[in-house]
Amino acid sequence: MARTRRIDTGELPEAEAIRLAQQGDAAAFERLYRLHNRRVYSLCLRMVGNTAEAEDLTQEAFLQLFRKIATFRGESAFSTWLHRLAVNVVLMKLRKKSGNESSLEELTEPDEESGGPRRDFGGPDLRLSGSIDRVNLQRAVDQLPPGYKSVFVLHDVQGYEHNEIAEIMACSIGNSKSQLHKARMRLRELLHEALRAQAREDRKAASAETGGKD
Amino acid sequence: MATTSCREFLAYLEPWMEGERSPDAQAHVRNCPHCSSVIKDLEMIRTEARSWSASEQEAPERVWTLLRAQLEQEGLIRETIPARAGGSAQAAAPRTGWFAGLFPRLPRPVLAGAYLTALVAIAFALSGPVNKRVNEARWLKGTQISTSPLSAQLNFAEQNSNSYVTRSNPVVAASLHQNLAIVDNYIALCEKSVSEEPQNEVARDYLYEAYQQKADLLTQMTERGENVQ
Repeated sequence: MARTRRIDTGELPEAEAIRLAQQGDAAAFERLYRLHNRRVYSLCLRMVGNTAEAEDLTQEAFLQLFRKIATFRGESAFSTWLHRLAVNVVLMKLRKKSGNESSLEELTEPDEESGGPRRDFGGPDLRLSGSIDRVNLQRAVDQLPPGYKSVFVLHDVQGYEHNEIAEIMACSIGNSKSQLHKARMRLRELLHEALRAQAREDRKAASAETGGKD
Repeated sequence: MATTSCREFLAYLEPWMEGERSPDAQAHVRNCPHCSSVIKDLEMIRTEARSWSASEQEAPERVWTLLRAQLEQEGLIRETIPARAGGSAQAAAPRTGWFAGLFPRLPRPVLAGAYLTALVAIAFALSGPVNKRVNEARWLKGTQISTSPLSAQLNFAEQNSNSYVTRSNPVVAASLHQNLAIVDNYIALCEKSVSEEPQNEVARDYLYEAYQQKADLLTQMTERGENVQ
């Protein structure tokens, strides 16, 4: 009866769990899943902004991992390897969703019309101070092109270093830094746009109220 | 508006955020409210994003359940090496917790009664004669006896949860209902497997697991509904 219950894998070290999982040991698979599912699920959730899709993607990432685990030779950290799979799974999904087979370069180097950051930061000086919260930042992140989003989530949310992101995303460290900068600049623009829209709404509401009283 | 020197500062901005601050860039930021405001914005974005990692959640248990089922189906995993499995007592321990946690709001006598029913049903099925067909029929009946109270309680809980969740955000409600439909399909599949192979321990286990998932989801729906009140 207890077959599918959580098997007590105790403090089984990751390296040992990997070795046993390579032999097909069920408990070792579960141990690896328990060790890493939180980060992978969070990554997927931040990337797609939808719990049902994030669950599917988490399952798919681990499935791919376990299918390939016999080939893992430890050249990179296990978590880096897993995250690379997860990011690829998410990017594939986003590509399918957008209905085209765009390259990773296109996903990380959008032109300005399709959402790349402007080359300057002129314009009215609205202050973001106090207006950044979880909800509006997530809303802005949802609008980022997938490549920017991946680097931003990996670096600023999950705390990966640029050398790790370069490995995960199969790009150079310089590229990772540049994508992150562009992502933050684009987020700033999006937050400013939201702030301006909110200000317009407030003005409209205020003038309607004044007009109503006259 | 951006000035020429602000445009030049753009080249310094990326390294600045990485902690590389040249004297030229520092001098510009000191004297330019616009650029110092940009830096403040970017730092705020980074700080807010960092705070998200504190609220990372585990994937719902159904993700592992479905993943494991897929791994078994593909023949990628085999049962745990017995010497390291941690003993049956440890493995069985969460099952009691699961049942107790299934309906935290139900009175304990009801829980105890349902649990007893399940135990009696299983014991009854196990004590049957060796004859395979008779045994299978008893297993099936036993499983039905043990699961029908759960099923009825889940249906009752679903009605309550529905009334709660309709008061919450329509997007959240739609997502929860979608998840509920997925779990219901999963339960139907598990029930079919159990009826086809009543003695299959794994099939029965998945059925219980599916009920657990539904219970978790209903609890979540109720909580969401309560939070918006």
